[in-house]
Amino acid sequence: MQVFNVPKSIKKDCTFTFCAGCDHGVAIKLVAQVIDELNIQDRTLAIASSGCSVLLYNVLDVDCIESPHGRGCAVATGAKRAFSANGKDNIVFTYQGDGDFASIGLAESMHSALRGEKITAICINNTNYGMTGGQMGPTSVLNQVTTTSPMGRNEQYHGFPIKTAEQIALCDGTCFSARVALYDYKNIINAKSAIKKAFEYQIKGLGFSFVEILSSCPTNWKLSPQDSHTRIKEELSKIYPVKVFKEK
Amino acid sequence: MTNKVLLKGNIAIAKAALESGCSCYFGYPITPQSEIGEFLSSEMPKRGLGYVCAESEIAAINMALGGTATGTKVLVSSSSCAVALMQEALSYAASDELPIVLVNVMRAGPGQGYIYPSQGDYNQAVTGGGNGDYHTIVLSPASVQECADFTQKAFYLAQKYRNPVILLVDGLLGQMAEGVEINTNPYQEIDNSSWRLDGNKDRTSRKIHSLEPNETALNKHIVEMHKKYRYIEENEVQCEEYMLDDADIILTAFGSLSRHAKAVCNYYREQGVKMGVFRPITLYPFPKKRLSELSLQAKQIIDIEMNMGQMLKDVQLSVLSNAQISFVGKPVGSWLKKEEIINIIDNIIKGGVNAGI
Repeated sequence: MQVFNVPKSIKKDCTFTFCAGCDHGVAIKLVAQVIDELNIQDRTLAIASSGCSVLLYNVLDVDCIESPHGRGCAVATGAKRAFSANGKDNIVFTYQGDGDFASIGLAESMHSALRGEKITAICINNTNYGMTGGQMGPTSVLNQVTTTSPMGRNEQYHGFPIKTAEQIALCDGTCFSARVALYDYKNIINAKSAIKKAFEYQIKGLGFSFVEILSSCPTNWKLSPQDSHTRIKEELSKIYPVKVFKEK
Repeated sequence: MTNKVLLKGNIAIAKAALESGCSCYFGYPITPQSEIGEFLSSEMPKRGLGYVCAESEIAAINMALGGTATGTKVLVSSSSCAVALMQEALSYAASDELPIVLVNVMRAGPGQGYIYPSQGDYNQAVTGGGNGDYHTIVLSPASVQECADFTQKAFYLAQKYRNPVILLVDGLLGQMAEGVEINTNPYQEIDNSSWRLDGNKDRTSRKIHSLEPNETALNKHIVEMHKKYRYIEENEVQCEEYMLDDADIILTAFGSLSRHAKAVCNYYREQGVKMGVFRPITLYPFPKKRLSELSLQAKQIIDIEMNMGQMLKDVQLSVLSNAQISFVGKPVGSWLKKEEIINIIDNIIKGGVNAGI
């Protein structure tokens, strides 16, 4: 009989306050399992961002600092450089939403990748600004209806969404860039393996490692959790291919 | 035999930061402070320390958030309009209680302004340029020697109070060379093992955050921050007093302009006028109490600044007597000369108030 345990790197008796059906819980569980498997819990620093992803620090049992909106990779850069200046090999990763990583923080994100900062960034892409109530984000797809694109995203009027994992893969300092999804068991296993690789690349000191996670936002998409996963499988993963874009 | 060398203020700051045990520098080029980053870009790598020429001032100050959170001493330097870009993260650092040391070598504003000298960032530094109810400690040097000494003090105060400290430097001082001795850091190391984020090996995990959804907890946090500010106001005020024992007329000035004020004071003393100079060194906390006491014996207070009267408000708040308060100022450019100041003060003494520039 297999017994399923809460990962060691999840805080005891913590409460997950994400909406029902939200994929943040699964994503954080995978990060926690990877931290456990790599045995790095006692030397990992998480950078939480603004938006739903900040709630990471209530559940993940590692040291954590909250970053101003979008600046996660800059905060991570400073922490990693400081550890390095003191001869420490601590692991530093960011956990950010797509608005945080790819809109307000695009400069910090991309320049950290270009510099090849030895950090890991995890970006939850749910194609909208979740915490503020579902406004159009940098990743909202064409025709997507949001509270600020009520007639649907129009390329002439609103412009195009960003393909983050592809863009980050183009940076010379990036050693690993992948997009994963969580809509079924197979994808969850693949997602975990990508997250693990990203951390392993950091441990080896090969450069900037990045995982974009296509995630559901049933509350703001106004879909059931099941229909949200169907949307990711049938619509989003055709626009945002689930694959490894770069692996050094 | 001293170890005095001829250095620009900017280089003195960089050398003093290294002497203070600063392990990381994050910055972005802007005149008139670029020499700080230029000097450290060669020194830091040599010593195995951290240096990042950041993509923006926003990134630089956020790198400082991350760096200081690990318990490491971090220096950030910039100038006026670019310090404006850093205010969001400074507000976070105040709430997170992170000991960032930020050097602002001032240029002229508002907006882009120009690289002319000015003291136009007094308000930005002293009243907190970011959002919310917080303070940064602000130190104001008047010489290249003080640029070095106050850099060391800034690191000490930042660590001691877990609070951002701003070294507010006149552009003139950053660019001016004087004889200076970079002293061995005179301050004791502050133990930061109770809060730094360096891995939860032998302890529970920690989090550093300003977000607080619980109203009671947020109120409590801000009240606690202000208890700390009150303590700083009680214990860390610093000012310089020049010929004030019997002064009827008190000149107030901060930074390098206080040296002009002293020259003016010397001139009037030769004329038999009982004049003295009061120079706040900590701009926050402002030496309110001492100026209040001194104002009781004075007939006139004349505030001299290279701006349109920013410290003047603190002077007015401090003076509890009926002493007449006047202002001599100019927003940007060549520092007010001794003769220019004397012309205006002659007028004020004759009965004109706020004779202006």
